[in-house]
Amino acid sequence: MDTREYIDSLFSDYQETAALVDFKEELKSFLDERIKALVKSGMDEKKAFAKATNELGDMTAVADEISRRKKQEILAEMYLKTGHYLPTWRIALYILCGAVLGFGIIATVLSGFFSNDITKPLGTLLVFGIVPVLGFLFLGLTQETAMYEAMSWKRALLYVIAAGVFLFGVFMFIITYFKANAGLPYAIATLIPFVLPSLAFGAFLILTEKDRRKPWVIKQHEERRKRSHERFGDPAQEKRFSLFSGALWIAAIAAFVLLTILFGLKFSWLAIVAALVGQLLIQAMFTKAK
Amino acid sequence: MEPILSSDLLRGHTDTIVLAMLMNADRYVLEIYNRILARTGEQYELKVETLYSSCKRLEKGGYITSYWGDETQGARRKYYHITNKGRELYRQNMLNWEFTLKILNELLRED
Repeated sequence: MDTREYIDSLFSDYQETAALVDFKEELKSFLDERIKALVKSGMDEKKAFAKATNELGDMTAVADEISRRKKQEILAEMYLKTGHYLPTWRIALYILCGAVLGFGIIATVLSGFFSNDITKPLGTLLVFGIVPVLGFLFLGLTQETAMYEAMSWKRALLYVIAAGVFLFGVFMFIITYFKANAGLPYAIATLIPFVLPSLAFGAFLILTEKDRRKPWVIKQHEERRKRSHERFGDPAQEKRFSLFSGALWIAAIAAFVLLTILFGLKFSWLAIVAALVGQLLIQAMFTKAK
Repeated sequence: MEPILSSDLLRGHTDTIVLAMLMNADRYVLEIYNRILARTGEQYELKVETLYSSCKRLEKGGYITSYWGDETQGARRKYYHITNKGRELYRQNMLNWEFTLKILNELLRED
């Protein structure tokens, strides 16, 4: 085994960051020179390699300083730990909501078959459809995951109320339209007391939402931003890159549609190919030369 | 009775040893390693990992900086250079050590 292979095998679990590549280079030059010195002092090549690598100690400690955590650790954090966030009572409630929803759908379909009155199935759906959906919403919002902190149950309840009023309003709209035969104007009028305020309240809730990402997610996000920053040089350049790409693709899709109408698909696909080439050129233009 | 070198005790001072080695010249890690081996009469079983950990930690803290040398022949070497902050830390660590040694001698004396 040569020193390059040996070092690669030492750090195979780590993400190949620029810093780690640099360190591996440094360590390779260390090992090569150390082995050369040992050979010079009379040791045979194989023994020198064994001695030099034995002197290294646990290099993963250094890699931990340099590279991000091991890939596996991050994956474990993201996926394996989700079981931890699902206590039995939550699982039971999720399944209960699902069962009620299933029952609601079946009951709605059945009552749709046996009655000509549209309000009957709608009424069934109103009770057995909305309740489990709101239940799912509440459970989902208060669910802590590997990446997000849970929302407090009070705030989640506000969301549930807004969603409930909204869905009720939608049902009212449909029922008024069909049942009362009152026509569209009256149906639209029912939007005012239910749908409109609940939408406004929902928008308020969403806009005042806190960042619930967990610290390690935020850290990863920042690292990703830093890396893209390294690639593009400065943020303005990155913005220009996205503007150029956006313009390119809008033009490409427009050309694609136009060409399809004029000449058919046989030729129009070339617009997409041209856009792909253009995208690569733009990327080459904006990313920093290594 | 033969005296035995306490590697543990030495390891606790790796940062200061590295700083001391860099006080008068920029050096690469193998050079530091060889100097430590030579000065301790090959008694100290210093692991390379300890040395690199120390260097990376000091670099992160801004006590030393590093740069690739421009060797025209042979492998390239990465040199470490001590900063003013590093010199400051060295002096502080030396003061701490001298003070601690005094106290330790006091404590170890037969009563």
